[in-house]
Amino acid sequence: MASSNGLSELGPQEPGLKFIGWKVALRNPKLVIGTLLLVALIALAVFAPLIAGDPLALDPFRRLQKPSSELLLGADHLGRDVFARTVFGGRVSLLVGLASAGCAIIFGLIIGILAGYSHRVDAIVMRLMDGVMSLPTILLAIAMVAISGGGIGILVIAIMIPQIPSVARLVRSVVLSTKQLPFVEAAVCAGARTPRILLRHILPSTVAPLIVQSAYVCANAILTEAGLSFLGAGVPPEIPSWGNMISASRIYLPVAPWSVFAPGIALAAMVLAVNLLGDGIRIAVDPKSRRR
Amino acid sequence: MKASRRDVLIGGASVAAGGYFSIGARAQNVPASRTLNVVKSTDLRVFDPVWTTANITADHGAMIYDTLFGLDENYQAKGQMVGRWDVSEDKKTYTFELRDGLGWHDGSPVTAADCVASIRRWGEVDAGGQLVMSRAQDISKKDDKTFEVKLKEPFGALIDVLAKLSTPCLFVMREKDAKRPGTEQVSDNIGSGPFIFNKALAKPGVSFTYDRNPNYVPRNEPPSGMAGGKAVKVDRIVWQYIADSQTGMAALQAGEIDYLERLPMDLLPVLEADPNIKVDILDKGGDDAYIRVNFLHKPFNNVKARQALLYLVDQEGFMRAAFADPRYYKPVKSLFGNNNPISNDESTGWYKPGGDLEKARQLFKDSGYAGEPVVILQPTNSPWQDNASQYLASILRKAGVNAQLAPSDWGGVVTRRANKQPIAEGGWSMFISLDSDYSHGEPLTTSFLLANGEKAWYGWPQDDQYEALRSKYADAASLDERKALARQMQARWWDFVGAVNIGTRQSPVAYRKNISGFIHIPEVIPMWNVKKG
Amino acid sequence: MLNYLIRRLMSTALVMLLVGLFVFLLLRMSPGDPAAIIAGDTATPEVIAGIRSKLGLNDPLVVQFMRWGWNIVNLELGNSIFSEQPVLTLLGQRLQPTISLSALTLILSISTGVIYGVLAARRPEGLVDKSLTLFSALGFSIPVFVAGYFLVYWFAIGLKWFPVQGYTPIEQDPVRWITQLILPTITLSLSYIALIARITKSSMLEVMSDDYIRTAVAKGVPERTILFTHALKNAGVPVLTVIGLGIAYLISGVVITETVYNIPGIGRLIVDAINNRDYPIIEGVLMLCSGAYVLINLLIDLSYSLIDPRIRY
Repeated sequence: MASSNGLSELGPQEPGLKFIGWKVALRNPKLVIGTLLLVALIALAVFAPLIAGDPLALDPFRRLQKPSSELLLGADHLGRDVFARTVFGGRVSLLVGLASAGCAIIFGLIIGILAGYSHRVDAIVMRLMDGVMSLPTILLAIAMVAISGGGIGILVIAIMIPQIPSVARLVRSVVLSTKQLPFVEAAVCAGARTPRILLRHILPSTVAPLIVQSAYVCANAILTEAGLSFLGAGVPPEIPSWGNMISASRIYLPVAPWSVFAPGIALAAMVLAVNLLGDGIRIAVDPKSRRR
Repeated sequence: MKASRRDVLIGGASVAAGGYFSIGARAQNVPASRTLNVVKSTDLRVFDPVWTTANITADHGAMIYDTLFGLDENYQAKGQMVGRWDVSEDKKTYTFELRDGLGWHDGSPVTAADCVASIRRWGEVDAGGQLVMSRAQDISKKDDKTFEVKLKEPFGALIDVLAKLSTPCLFVMREKDAKRPGTEQVSDNIGSGPFIFNKALAKPGVSFTYDRNPNYVPRNEPPSGMAGGKAVKVDRIVWQYIADSQTGMAALQAGEIDYLERLPMDLLPVLEADPNIKVDILDKGGDDAYIRVNFLHKPFNNVKARQALLYLVDQEGFMRAAFADPRYYKPVKSLFGNNNPISNDESTGWYKPGGDLEKARQLFKDSGYAGEPVVILQPTNSPWQDNASQYLASILRKAGVNAQLAPSDWGGVVTRRANKQPIAEGGWSMFISLDSDYSHGEPLTTSFLLANGEKAWYGWPQDDQYEALRSKYADAASLDERKALARQMQARWWDFVGAVNIGTRQSPVAYRKNISGFIHIPEVIPMWNVKKG
Repeated sequence: MLNYLIRRLMSTALVMLLVGLFVFLLLRMSPGDPAAIIAGDTATPEVIAGIRSKLGLNDPLVVQFMRWGWNIVNLELGNSIFSEQPVLTLLGQRLQPTISLSALTLILSISTGVIYGVLAARRPEGLVDKSLTLFSALGFSIPVFVAGYFLVYWFAIGLKWFPVQGYTPIEQDPVRWITQLILPTITLSLSYIALIARITKSSMLEVMSDDYIRTAVAKGVPERTILFTHALKNAGVPVLTVIGLGIAYLISGVVITETVYNIPGIGRLIVDAINNRDYPIIEGVLMLCSGAYVLINLLIDLSYSLIDPRIRY
């Protein structure tokens, strides 16, 4: 790795996390809308029992019934209340999405920074990451679900693990670029210790790309769960999740579109909220984008 | 077997076969008008129709292999490869003579030695075959075209068992293939049937190609079930595998394929409304779906709990949840299905539309059930079983049972159901499956109908009285005698409750209107006689 | 550089071996008995036991492992338990459809995604940028199979513009090859375009405010040159990384897309093999998948230094 490269016209531009105040928020509609939407979806999931009926109660004789005053969003192929399942389904999807994204970001960040900073760690860890990542998510999840006999906890782990390398690699590539920058080199010359350099100088520069990536990881986790259900290895069919609702109802699309659209719209709203939030935070914390 | 059948010369092929020559260089290009593109219900994974009981492999077997006897549309056994047969005065020696013109796809002629080896191999693995082997003293060839079966004692059902349609059927293979153990696959795909397996175009998981066997000599009689002349009326049949039933349906509507099995039942009206497509039922008898329960462990080791289940079941609800379209399902009360000679109405008082929740609750209580977990194996990659399992869990919970679903793919289910341990050690309580209605009319060879405890099929039902009746059935000489025994067996079965019926469904197939000539029988879907245009 | 390359290639082999070992252990530990699946629903337990022992599945794990290892040492992947054909033959039959689908998807989504992202970065909060926000929200949130069925119903059944399903080898009929692949490619590209466009946009925004871009603008360099030459080059590292990461993501998408459109590719081969517990196929295909993935990412790592000379190995 070259230690000096004469790009000194790039002056020190040390980005930092700033308090996100009301003023910023008002100038940042994405942040506001994203937050409100996400809060609304979380509230819906948390207070599901107060809002909707029993999502498990099935009645084959009202199979694929149209929406009515009794069944707001109609019935699915087992005569279950699609509205109730959509509301309760948010619990699983939010849990899978947020938990997978949270864990993946934490582990990915740690691994990525260490790998980007230390050559020795890089050689070992990134090969390991390559190995993990080169396994298609879906197979890993199917195998893990098969071994452990299913359950949402295992599903979260199975979906999370393949996401870690993607975060780690992104962070690492940013670190590789950042550590060449003069302000980092200046800090090294000034005798700053490695942990301080990592925390104070390198970590902040990973935030912007990481936020974009975390929105993607969260959405991807929810979609992976849907894909696993499509292949029969996702959340157990009895438990409503937006993913497995869409998967189970997809073949009824021409005759019972509500059973696909209800969870589909909920899923789209969720991902939209996460994306807007991600954009909003990026605008709020990144001095470069705020400058404009 | 009726005595009148003795010494009957069953018209064999009168056309002498021309010399066989090796069929190496086959045309790889066949015009579309002479090619049938079919989409089967599932992927053909195993080639050996004796090695597996899978129906898809039996369909494959019916394409390339031939059978000694075939059941006709009325379930009567008729000679197919066998030209004439004879039984001795003491009814203990059967002599079979092959008809003329039979040859393997590799060019060599079919001999009696091939047949003997094939019967022996089939006798290792098939329940009917095992019955034949246990009754037989010797099976041996007499000359190139003749072989005989010597019995220890008369066995009236011999020809019926040799002709049985339920899988594995007795497909005749070359001696060198049939010399392999029944637990090892024969995958050369060299038969003597009306189609030749095109090895060069075989793409497992994608498509298989079968070419018309130009040297096959069909019998003279018109086709009827697995009996009669197997005249092939297209040059090539391509079996495709389409994993997604909706995709298959779209392909049929677009005319990209000619024939489709496993239709999405909720979308049937769409297919029925299509002027170019005919929806047809090839197996009028359909399939009987059922719940198997584990006799070895709580709560279903108690007869009261099993009876509770019997009263709890609402067949209409199950069928609606699992098979959607009421035009294609109906209840089944008889142990022996709806459409068999021995189907009957003995002791079917438990049947009640809507089920009897109160009675079921009471019986569960009487059985001493105290909230132990009941584990239902739920195959998530088989939609009907998935849905029926969820419905089962919901009605059990209504009756106060602690029902838990154990979701996994089908591969996981077949593995776990073999586990005889208690639930805490990976065992199970119940699972749902189905057999053809036809097979439930065969108490001698159908594994579902056994009740010999640990040797029985999964669930391991045990009832000595029932088993005594079943062994009498094997020796019953007339149909009336069998019917009487069947009534007694059924009375017993619904008393100890070996398994519980949840209904009969028919599975329609759909094909383009320019296709015709399908043969309507259970279990196997033959493709001879089918023509295009 | 050469040293680095050799080291990476050796570690690629190591990764493949680790993956193979991992998959081997995972499969042997997972429930699911190929013999029970082979024998079919109504087979008796004795027959299943017989098949299992003939397949060598009753042998101790160590023996099975030695057998597997011996095959690997001889660069063999064994035969399918079911069809008894060599895994390499089966793989060969499935390679072309998957490569075709993946390549078309990569071409479509990289070209569209990068251009879309650059245009969105040109005027933040402009019309293009806003449309990208909407598009990426939709692209990410509509599952591949729902998008697939929608496209099939609209364009194949309704408008009859494209075939519903299937695959024709390119050497047999190139026109049909491409028409059959258009819908699957679009289906699979939707989320990938959204991803690449977003990453391109945010990376572009990072560099657009840098002094050298301002200098270029001040010097009067045409906007197109600034966007696609100066800025894009510097925004290239994160974009490339995401494309590299996307390869594995693509494989997951391929599995589902191949099922929807009945394309006989690697994805379908793996899913069927998992459902059947056809161990040799699962092991072989996954080792090769991981090998391909690691190699592609090696290429991407090398290309970092092409795009950004500050990164050297």
